[in-house]
This record gives sequence, structure tokens and C-alpha cells, in this order.
Amino acid sequence: MPKICLLLKEKRPAWVELFEKEGLEVCCDYRLPEAIDNILSQPPDLLIIEYELSPELVYDLLIALKTTLYLPFLPVLLVLSATEFQLDWERYPVDDFFSPDILPPELLARVHLAFARARRLADNNPLTGLPGNTSILKYIQDKLDKGEEIAIGYVDLDNFKPFNDRYGFARGDEILRALARILTNVVRTYAGDQGFVGHIGGDDFVFVCPLPKAEKIAQEIIDHFDQVVPNFLDEEDLLKGCFISEDRQGRTCRFPLPSVSIAIVPNRQGRYKHYGEISAVAAQIKKYVKQIPGSTYLLDRRKAKN
Amino acid sequence: MEAQKREIKRKLRQLQSLPTLPPVVSRLTKLIGDENTTALQIAEVIEKDQVLTSKVLKMVNSAFYGFPKRISTVSSAIVLLGFNVIRTLVLTASIFEMMQSEDLGLWEHSLGVAAASGILAQHLELKNQEEVATAGLLHDLGKVVIRAEFPHFYKQILRLVEQEKLSFLEAEKQILGMYHGEIGEFLVRRWNLPERLVEPIAFHHEVEKARKYKKETAIIHLADIIIRALGYGNGGDPWVPGLQDKAWRWLGLDRKDLEELLPLLDERLLELRFFTLEIQGLGFA
Ligand SMILES: [Fe+2]
Ligand SMILES: [Fe+2]
Repeated sequence: MPKICLLLKEKRPAWVELFEKEGLEVCCDYRLPEAIDNILSQPPDLLIIEYELSPELVYDLLIALKTTLYLPFLPVLLVLSATEFQLDWERYPVDDFFSPDILPPELLARVHLAFARARRLADNNPLTGLPGNTSILKYIQDKLDKGEEIAIGYVDLDNFKPFNDRYGFARGDEILRALARILTNVVRTYAGDQGFVGHIGGDDFVFVCPLPKAEKIAQEIIDHFDQVVPNFLDEEDLLKGCFISEDRQGRTCRFPLPSVSIAIVPNRQGRYKHYGEISAVAAQIKKYVKQIPGSTYLLDRRKAKN
Repeated sequence: MEAQKREIKRKLRQLQSLPTLPPVVSRLTKLIGDENTTALQIAEVIEKDQVLTSKVLKMVNSAFYGFPKRISTVSSAIVLLGFNVIRTLVLTASIFEMMQSEDLGLWEHSLGVAAASGILAQHLELKNQEEVATAGLLHDLGKVVIRAEFPHFYKQILRLVEQEKLSFLEAEKQILGMYHGEIGEFLVRRWNLPERLVEPIAFHHEVEKARKYKKETAIIHLADIIIRALGYGNGGDPWVPGLQDKAWRWLGLDRKDLEELLPLLDERLLELRFFTLEIQGLGFA
């Protein structure tokens, strides 16, 4: 049952009843700090929020939800009175707005429309919530078409297979989610809305950012990953500094602890025209990075051959 | 007493957020308002406050993020939650409307125990030193809960300590039918905090009950005693509890180790004094 959350200035039992009749689960909390706590730890499927509640806090909450919790497709409807229509819409990440004295049929129609739009947009990875391959390809191709000086970073986890063998898939999923969080936060910090993070699948991720920021971002992803990874390891393995696990032939082997490798492909002076060229170059660089033990990144510094 | 315990647990289940000291929050709000503030600077302040630390850990270990019971340090939590979420958490933190003079003492006690635990963990060459310090910071969270949620009982406990010369812990048992270790445990389990933090919080006064994290629990137990003996902060009563034999054996320390550690601790506590003085100044100015 989809959950809809109301954050309003005053109680509106009529709205609650309206939504409950439609079979939606409604949560409404009128104490702002608790409400925000709850929304950030258990996000709803749709949020209706009143601007006048606290313009500053509402904005902060929306930014947190949309950009750092990778919930770009969470529909948010803003309740706005007629005197406030001249909001800065570029800045305000909402999907729709309506006035506090909206009639019930219109309110319902807008809620259903918002749900439908969210469903159409989703090609997100179910595990991490990050945009999937269609969005990745579209985003990068779009930047190439404009000839922007961007860098594309291919991130993958080293020794993910032995990690899964040792601790099981559930913990493997946990570490992928943690990596997704780190990528999102770092790219957001240094590139703002000039950045993008996607999940290709399995233990492969990609990020896109302005070229001058690429190395800083890669280094920070590495630092943060190495800092967080001990939370996911058992004490004995941490002490040994490696796992003992079986290889494909069933022999007992020592494997290093998980680390990340990042291959960065720069698009200098519009050198690449198609996404396919980028992934081919990335594959070559990856081979080198993977040979270096521990977490590392490598930026392709080769000059164009023409 | 059983009915009383049930009633307390019922209230704990409804508990949404704990208040913290107003000056800590105003200091953080100032930091956050400054564009040049880094996540690291914010972490440094959060790590000195037991309530905000528990709040951040509760959030990062909530089911939504998909790695419950894993994250035990503030620095990891900040990396995973991101600046915007931390910012929102701090801006919506609730504060004590009336800060009492004992409150600061309780905060100082927790800070002191965090410092001593960290130093002990370092001396014993444990891998997870930051986490042990976090356990030290949170160890008396149950007392904050009593102070904030059951102020009436809290007053009764303090009165009993003063009039009957009981330890705080004995007085808690008489008034509430349970004590701060159990209350803290009840909450941090509900919040999905990792077992390595839960055991020291639950068992720092009954180390024999520790299962998986004996060393960590024993460290917090010893750190608590050292800090009380040094008279740093306020643990609720003026008496120093006895050292449990088991804890001492698990750690394998001797007198000489302690002589080596105390100067290090002194230095660290002096640094912390500057922090608490600043907080105090902000609070009562
Ligand atoms: Fe205690
Ligand atoms: Fe204590």
C-alpha cells in the first residue's frame, strides 16, 4: 500500500479521510522535528508539504530527500497560497503545487497523476535506487553532444566475489548500498548539480562530473570507502587484514579486503562523440587499475592520436 | 514494580527524540551556517555530544538505508548520510528547555569516559578504537533518558542519593525498578545500533553479562571508574564504584599500565575542559 505523508500547518482530517478511502496509507505528524526525522528514516511514496510551515526547513528537507537520499523520483506536492506564487522554481525541487483550498476531486487527481509520472520515470536500480543504464547512457550522450569537458569515472569493487563467499549476499548488498551512498554524497559535495551518479549493475557504478573536479572526487570516494569498510567486516578478518576463502577450483586462498578501483575517462575538447567509445577506453584503463592492490584511481592521460 | 517497568517501557517505545544541551546545538547551527564548514568539523562537535551521536547513529542504521546494525562511528555515519541530511538533523534537534547544572556534569562525565575508553583501546591495540570511544560516550544514555523523559523520578532518585547515601544505581532500582543500563539497552536495540555498542551500554555495571564484546564492555567499565575517581564531571553520585574482577582479568592490565596511561588521559581531559568551558560560557551567558 503506497504511503503518503502530510506535513501541514494545520490538521486536515478531511484530506486524511479522502486518501484513506482511496486505500493509501497516510502518515501525518504535526511536530516538525519528529516528522522530519521520520521522513528521512522512512521516506513515504509521496509527500505533500506546506510551504508556509517553515520556508527554510521545507527547502532543506526537499534538498535532502531529492539529492542526497537518491529519491529524485519521490513525488513532492507543495501547498502554496496565492500570495507566494513567485517562488524560485529553478531552486525548488517539487513536482506540483496547489492552493490550500483545493477541492477534493482535484486533489485526488493530482496525487494520482504524480504517482503515474513517478512510475514512468523509474529505471532506477532496485538495490541502490540509483539511475540505471538507460538514464546513464542518456545523460552521458547528452553531455557529449554538447561537447562539455566532463570526466566519466567507472567505479568498481575489488574482491567483491570473495566478500560475498565469506559473508553471504545479504552483506554484499549492504556494502553496495554503502558505496552508492558514498558516491552520491561525494559527487554532490564537489560537483553539485553538475554531477551524476548511476548504477550499471552488480558492483559497477559510474559517475560524471566537470573535468577539473574528477581527481578530487575519485580520491575522496576512495578515502571514504576505506574509512567505512571496516564496519562491514568481522573483527578476525580485520585483524588478519585478509579473508581466507575458496577460489573457483575449491582451493583455499587468501584474498585482500574489499577496495575500490576507479577508471577515469576525460572528454577533453570534445574528443569523444559516442558513449560506446568511452566505455571501450574505460575497459582498457580498468585492466591497469585492477592490477594495483588496494583502492586506487587512474586517469587516462594519453593524448588523442590524430 | 513490574507494572512500573511496563509503564516505563511503554513510554520508551513512544520516545521520538531526546533533547540535548542548547549550547551544543547553537554552536553546531553556527558552524552549519558557515559555507566553509567541512563535514569533518561538524563530526568533531557531534562526537562530543551523546544525544546527537545517538541520533545520527539511529538514522544511519535505520532500515531505509539498507545496512542496519552496521555503523558504529560518527565519522562513518557522516560519510554515508551526507552533509544535507546531517544539516537537517542538527537543525531539527530538540534541546532542553531548562538546562540544569547537573546536566553539564553528566555530559562531562560521558565525554571523560569516551576519552578514557579511547585511550585504553589504543593501549590494548584494539582495531576499533573510535568505536570503543563512541561506546564510552553513549554508555550512560539511560541517564539522559531518565532526566528528560521521567523528570519526576529523576528528582526522586537524586533525593534518595543525597538523603540515604545510596549510589545512583541503587536509587534508580528503588525508584524505577530498573536502572540506566537496562533503559539504555532497550532504546539502542530499538534503534538498530550495532551489538558492539549495545553490550557496553547495557553491561558496563554487570560485565559478566557481556557475550560477544567482553573487552569493549570491560574497557567502558574501567573507564567509568577512572573518570569518577578523577572527579571529572558528574556521574550522579559522589562514590566510586568497585572494579569488577572479571573486567580486570579480561583486559590483562597491571598497575604499570595505568601509571603509563594516566598522564595521557590528563592531557586529553584538559583539552576537553576547554570545550566544556566554551559550552558552559555559551549556555549561561
Ligand atoms: Fe553507568
Ligand atoms: Fe558512567
